[in-house]
Amino acid sequence: MSSMSEPRSASSSVIISLENVTQRFRVIHERPDTLRELFSKFLRKGISYHDLDAVSDVSLEVPKGQMLALIGRNGSGKSTLLKIIAGVFRPTSGRVHVEGSIAPLIELGAGFHYELTGRENILLNGLLMGYSKEEMRKREQSIIDFAEIADFIDAPIKQYSSGMHTRLAFAVATEVDPEILILDEILAVGDTAFQEKCFARIQDFRRAGKTILFVSHAMALVTRFCDRAILLDKGSVIADGDPAEVLSCYKSLTMPELAAAH
Amino acid sequence: MKELIAETYRYRQLIWALALKELKVRYKRSVLGFMWALLNPALMMLVLSVVFSTIMRFAIPHYAIFLLSVLLPWTFFSQSLSYAVESIVGNGELIKKVSVPKLVFPVAAVVSNIINLLLSFIPLALLVLGMRHPFYKTWLFLPVPMLALIIFTLGMTFFFAAANVYYRDVAHIVQVVLSAWFYLTPIIYALDFIPPNRQWIFKLNPIIYVINGFRLSVYYGMLPRWQSIAASFVCAFIALVIGFGIFRKYQDEFVFYV
Repeated sequence: MSSMSEPRSASSSVIISLENVTQRFRVIHERPDTLRELFSKFLRKGISYHDLDAVSDVSLEVPKGQMLALIGRNGSGKSTLLKIIAGVFRPTSGRVHVEGSIAPLIELGAGFHYELTGRENILLNGLLMGYSKEEMRKREQSIIDFAEIADFIDAPIKQYSSGMHTRLAFAVATEVDPEILILDEILAVGDTAFQEKCFARIQDFRRAGKTILFVSHAMALVTRFCDRAILLDKGSVIADGDPAEVLSCYKSLTMPELAAAH
Repeated sequence: MKELIAETYRYRQLIWALALKELKVRYKRSVLGFMWALLNPALMMLVLSVVFSTIMRFAIPHYAIFLLSVLLPWTFFSQSLSYAVESIVGNGELIKKVSVPKLVFPVAAVVSNIINLLLSFIPLALLVLGMRHPFYKTWLFLPVPMLALIIFTLGMTFFFAAANVYYRDVAHIVQVVLSAWFYLTPIIYALDFIPPNRQWIFKLNPIIYVINGFRLSVYYGMLPRWQSIAASFVCAFIALVIGFGIFRKYQDEFVFYV
């Protein structure tokens, strides 16, 4: 948290900067969850583990207004990197500097409670993102309109279809108008009409000069929307630049035999 | 400590919303809903007054009031602890996805129980009137022991909520500790029942000073001596400083263990 409240740096156009950030996880083989397991492990001489750098010595600067795609295979460190930027993880080493408001939410709809109504969840979600009750009240109607769930807004969300759930989540996350928006595999759900609506909103965000971090395996979306892409592999950035070029790099990574044939 | 106050204030609306959510979820699907917060202590009183006026006769007049004046704050303490010990682990999915100060979860668990505590004093007041027990002016003093109790409870919940992240046994241990602690605290009996040469052992129990204020104000119509009030706040603040200190030290790591 402290790293986020530092005074503005000289280059104020850089909104996110990471310096040599490493996130190390201790992967414990059969982590003892209870005291009994701890004792039995202890008697059997020690706990076996290995360290894994989910993000390894990553330095990255994101200028304000950029739409950046993070691509890479499963387990390459995309989500860990997003969590570091969002402040969910405090990295093992390195410096993180984020300016301006960031919806500190990794997954849309995180924090929704199934027993609460849509309206109650809008408020709770907004409060979790650090907005006030008054701000959320003001935005409530436009969230409901965007999500197209007026008829269900006072029903507990366990009765929602998964599409309604996603629409509400997307509406809340974007309607609060954060300066940095994180979209992690969100557009995979929802019907075509709603997807187009989401794309339109993303374009609005870009026009308004907001910064967007975008994780997707849908390559067409990456080339369609993003200004820049970075490719992560085993926690390191191995390519950074124009989305089309980075994507071809990614293809050669995932399908080496195919690339060799070319 | 400054951090605790500042963050609690900054996130007051979130804490309040989480506390209300907890109550709503707790009483959801019950026909009487929120009424249970009042009904629960009321029915407990009915049972206790029947048991102690017909079956087990103590030489204490208006025993139900004698008992409930401290049983209600004790229930607040034990329920807060039972809920809050799971508050970090239970919100694990959220903590993994949202950057939010971890302290809001145990604080919200305590706040939801404060609402219950305040509500439970309504049936107690009705019982006092019904049994024609004098309604003492010292009721006005109750916010003082209540404050000490809340601070003490917060300290304990921070400690146990943090410990439970690392070892899930803690939640079970807390239950055992609470039931032992219940009998070691003068709740169903008075400290006077204990032989004077052994009373010092009971006075090592930190919650006794906090509890004392409730019984004196409601049942005896007296104010506690200032030494006792001071002791209750000293115990409360020690619990909070240690509990929150440990919680704060480990809070950034919780996300890796939930």
